[in-house]
Amino acid sequence: MPISTQIDKIDAYDKVLGKAKYASDFYMEGMLVGALLRSTRPHAHIKRIDVSKAYSLEGVVRIIQAKDIPGENSFGIIRKDQPLLCDKKVRFIGDPILIVLAVTEKVAKEALRLIEVEYEDIEPILTPSDSERSPILIHESGNLLTHKKVIKGNVEKGFSESDIIVENTYITTWLDHAYIETESGFGYMDGNGRIVIYSSTQNVHYKRKEISRILALPEEKIRVVQATTGGGFGGKLDMTIEGYVALSVYLTGKPILIRYSREESFLVSTKRHPLYIHYTTGAKKNGTLCAVKVSIIGDTGPYASYGETVCLRAAIHATGPYEVENVYVDSKMFYTNNPISGAMRGFGVPQIAFAHETQMDILAESLNLDPLYIRMKNGLKRGSKTATSQILEESVGYLETLERIKPFWLERKKGKDRGFGLGSMFYGMGNTGITNPSWAELKLSSDGKVVLYTGVCDIGQGSDTVLAQIVCETLGIDVSKIEIVRADTDYTKDAGSTSASRQTYISGKAAYEAALKLRSFLEREGFYSGKKLKDIFEKYKDMGMPVFDGFFDPPTTKLDPETSSGKPYATYAFATHMTEVAVDSSTGYVKVLKVHAAHDVGKAINIQNVKGQIYGGIAMGIGFALMEEFVPGKTKSFNTYYIPTSLDMPEVDVFIVESEEPTGPFGAKGVGEPALIPSAASIANAIYDATGVRIFELPCDMEKLKLLLERKRERG
Amino acid sequence: MKKFDYHIPKSLEEALSLFKSLENAKYIAGGTDVLVNIKRKKESPSHLISLRNIDSLKVVEKKDGLKIGSCLIHQELLKIEEIRTYYSALYDALTKLGSKQIRNVATIGGNICNAAPSADTACPLLVLDAQVVIFGEKGTRMVPIDDFFEGPGTVAKEESEIVTSFELPSFPKYTGSAYIKHTRREAMDLAMVSAASRITFAAEDQSLLRDFLSSKGVEELDKELKNYPLFVKEARIALGVVAPRPFRAKKAESCLEGKFLNEETLREACEKAAEEAQPRDTIRGEAWYRREMVKVLTKRTILLSVKRAIEMCS
Ligand SMILES: Cc1cc2nc3c(=O)[nH]c(=O)nc-3n(C[C@H](O)[C@H](O)[C@H](O)COP(=O)(O)OP(=O)(O)OC[C@H]3O[C@@H](n4cnc5c(N)ncnc54)[C@H](O)[C@@H]3O)c2cc1C
Repeated sequence: MPISTQIDKIDAYDKVLGKAKYASDFYMEGMLVGALLRSTRPHAHIKRIDVSKAYSLEGVVRIIQAKDIPGENSFGIIRKDQPLLCDKKVRFIGDPILIVLAVTEKVAKEALRLIEVEYEDIEPILTPSDSERSPILIHESGNLLTHKKVIKGNVEKGFSESDIIVENTYITTWLDHAYIETESGFGYMDGNGRIVIYSSTQNVHYKRKEISRILALPEEKIRVVQATTGGGFGGKLDMTIEGYVALSVYLTGKPILIRYSREESFLVSTKRHPLYIHYTTGAKKNGTLCAVKVSIIGDTGPYASYGETVCLRAAIHATGPYEVENVYVDSKMFYTNNPISGAMRGFGVPQIAFAHETQMDILAESLNLDPLYIRMKNGLKRGSKTATSQILEESVGYLETLERIKPFWLERKKGKDRGFGLGSMFYGMGNTGITNPSWAELKLSSDGKVVLYTGVCDIGQGSDTVLAQIVCETLGIDVSKIEIVRADTDYTKDAGSTSASRQTYISGKAAYEAALKLRSFLEREGFYSGKKLKDIFEKYKDMGMPVFDGFFDPPTTKLDPETSSGKPYATYAFATHMTEVAVDSSTGYVKVLKVHAAHDVGKAINIQNVKGQIYGGIAMGIGFALMEEFVPGKTKSFNTYYIPTSLDMPEVDVFIVESEEPTGPFGAKGVGEPALIPSAASIANAIYDATGVRIFELPCDMEKLKLLLERKRERG
Repeated sequence: MKKFDYHIPKSLEEALSLFKSLENAKYIAGGTDVLVNIKRKKESPSHLISLRNIDSLKVVEKKDGLKIGSCLIHQELLKIEEIRTYYSALYDALTKLGSKQIRNVATIGGNICNAAPSADTACPLLVLDAQVVIFGEKGTRMVPIDDFFEGPGTVAKEESEIVTSFELPSFPKYTGSAYIKHTRREAMDLAMVSAASRITFAAEDQSLLRDFLSSKGVEELDKELKNYPLFVKEARIALGVVAPRPFRAKKAESCLEGKFLNEETLREACEKAAEEAQPRDTIRGEAWYRREMVKVLTKRTILLSVKRAIEMCS
């Protein structure tokens, strides 16, 4: 049967054979290449732009400025506060000012150097606390992007009932997604005057909407197709090159290619939000959590991007996978003139998990309890009430993830300079407290195959394969019998973004619903008693082949504006990692040796994909915990941005827990972000176990750990 | 990237005369430094003269030491058994240089001529007393490697001169050497600090070394040193990334050379090495940390060298 068995990823062969077509592989006669002029100032008024010298360079065809935009010069996933091209003000180093179109990329880039921009600097705001206090405004609406609270019970009462209170501050920094393919897009005008864009993206329908606003064209005049995409991790959810490509096609009628160099990608792609987390936990002597109070302050950079999402999601997940009677979380996001922070695998939850998991270990130690025991004792289970007062009714596999880890935890043997750490997490599937539907459609083709039309962008995580498996399992057909038309606004319906670990769960369910309809049709047509698909197609060819559609929108509720009470997500994934590290105490170098990773995914539709996500999540977690740090103004490329290599990977044992989710396809939930979330936390706890040094700031790089070890030695 | 012409001479003479006749020419071996520099606009040669097709630059000669051609790629050098056995410091460096992809194209000549303070084969060649063999208009000459490095990216040769090979002397068998590269991750990283050392004991101490080995004391080498008064006949210590060029920490060497190796002389050597280092704060690492690491790495390479020397006596 197609699900839960080992099947190859559908896209694997084309990729290893070099056949897959990425956006930069597109070419058309007469194609122009675009390059963007970007601000060299963090915060400034634009006084004057002189493009005359650039125009006189041979090969320069067109220079596009804000005034050339026919529609609205703004975009943004939630709040439209980001100009496509800046004309009055720039708000970070890298803010785009104009587009040069030329016959080659080289000429376009050379032309950029000939353009003069006169700036009048404004004092840049570089920290959230300056942003809060400064009279200088980054946007007219003020420097506070958003402020959310999560309130349950009475936190002060909870503290007064506590035997112990643990209070600490945790700090994280900017991280880059570091996807293998940089942002890239190709576009042209088709014979009917419609604009067609192929881009490296995590969503196509959203991009079409934005382009339509910018060009003041109806959506029907625009087609956005996902080219093969080399990773996203949240960085290709916002508009990247699409708006520039579309505008250039619109204004010139020519085929256009725009792609970022690695350096440009580092400069302008959104980053993981740096969060300052002040965390207070109160508990009884027996380990029962009584109260959690958290203040989160985030640096969202100059534009909103996903800042509001991160602000709320971090707050909702602040307790971790534990039931706490009294909760008060206060979460704020401030604009600054730093890089734009946006969506990145986990939307703030990896940061908050680092905090709540360290808190749990400190509590356990202070109370002389086993770290696994204290998690068991407080862990969410069926019937638990979350911080948003949601009662968890189904698919709560958290305790089982602990159970699966338990034998290894109890048998662990600590060598010299070795340590073990636990990290747990829960994570809501899909968007937070809002509708986030998906559609899928199935048809038969003339060559006797089932064709799935899905708007889901497969960015490498394997949704094509998983959706195919779900449909094939439902229909009882082999995976070779299905074809996929994917993420093309002309042919597929909106499936929402590939984000929030939602596609297997939500779009998988939509595909399942469509397959159920097709199945009963095929039953009627005699397919299951031997009739061929080809013949069924033939029969309907002239009357018109029926389309079978499926739809799913996970049942969530709107959250209370004051307390965030409600049902932000229909279901949650759960996980626990146990990580072993070796610490070189003379140098501060940490090597992650082994990870036991237990994940409740509801149902593993594709075991290899689930494992792949977990391995990748752990790799990313190692980067987050130990080495990755984007330093604005300094980090330019992979030359100084360290991500782990394959040789830095530990041995990983995956334990799949399948606490089936009744609303999911075959019980499936998601694993994309959960794979990463507990990783850094468990590493930090393992470092403590090895050294006795607590980590409150990430990354815990060699210098930082060495310093902490020296301080500890001095204190004796 | 700027355009250039590419030339493929078949002999040293041809390469040299091409270099002389062409305007703004540059030699290229594996190109892993040259092309990066061109892309970053640090240099913009009009002509690249490849050295990769000159057979004499790929020699390996194994008598009275070891002679290795400058155009051998790192991955080939890794296969030479003598390097692994007698010149372990160099072997250590080769295993850690870049990644397999880089080692499959990059050459030792390029690594040395590029003369980065972080060049991985530099410290090993320094402690192994390598001689650089150079071919030029006036014929062939030899320069001790310690005199070859001048500063970051500058070496003691005319631009037209070609480094043809490196000659390593043969050492008494009670010799051990080691190189340690300190990095943030396991591959594809330039050293944040690096250290190499070579220790050659006195011939008279051979039976002592054998005793040491059989005592299993090597497992806890530093603690066992006091029980085995080993006399250091020759000591070499070289440091990378903590000065404008890879250099020999000669004061540190003299803490050991002609002395008995014990906890104290070892500590002194490490302290001296740290004093001789002039680390800087850069985005790759902070100065205070680098200085600390000089102590740690110096100690570790010496102990590893000692261990290897002892093991050679089995
Ligand atoms: C991704 C990456 C990772 C790297 N990692 C490391 C690392 O971990 N450690 C490290 O030390 N280096 C590293 N390097 C740098 C580089 O690979 C090495 O220095 C390499 O050994 C250079 O050799 P090459 O043959 O490519 O030199 P080339 O680039 O061809 O030449 C380098 C310089 O030497 C000159 N030259 C070369 N051969 C001769 C000769 N026979 N006579 C005279 N002049 C000559 C050239 O003119 C040029 O100036 C890395 C480079 C890259 C791109």
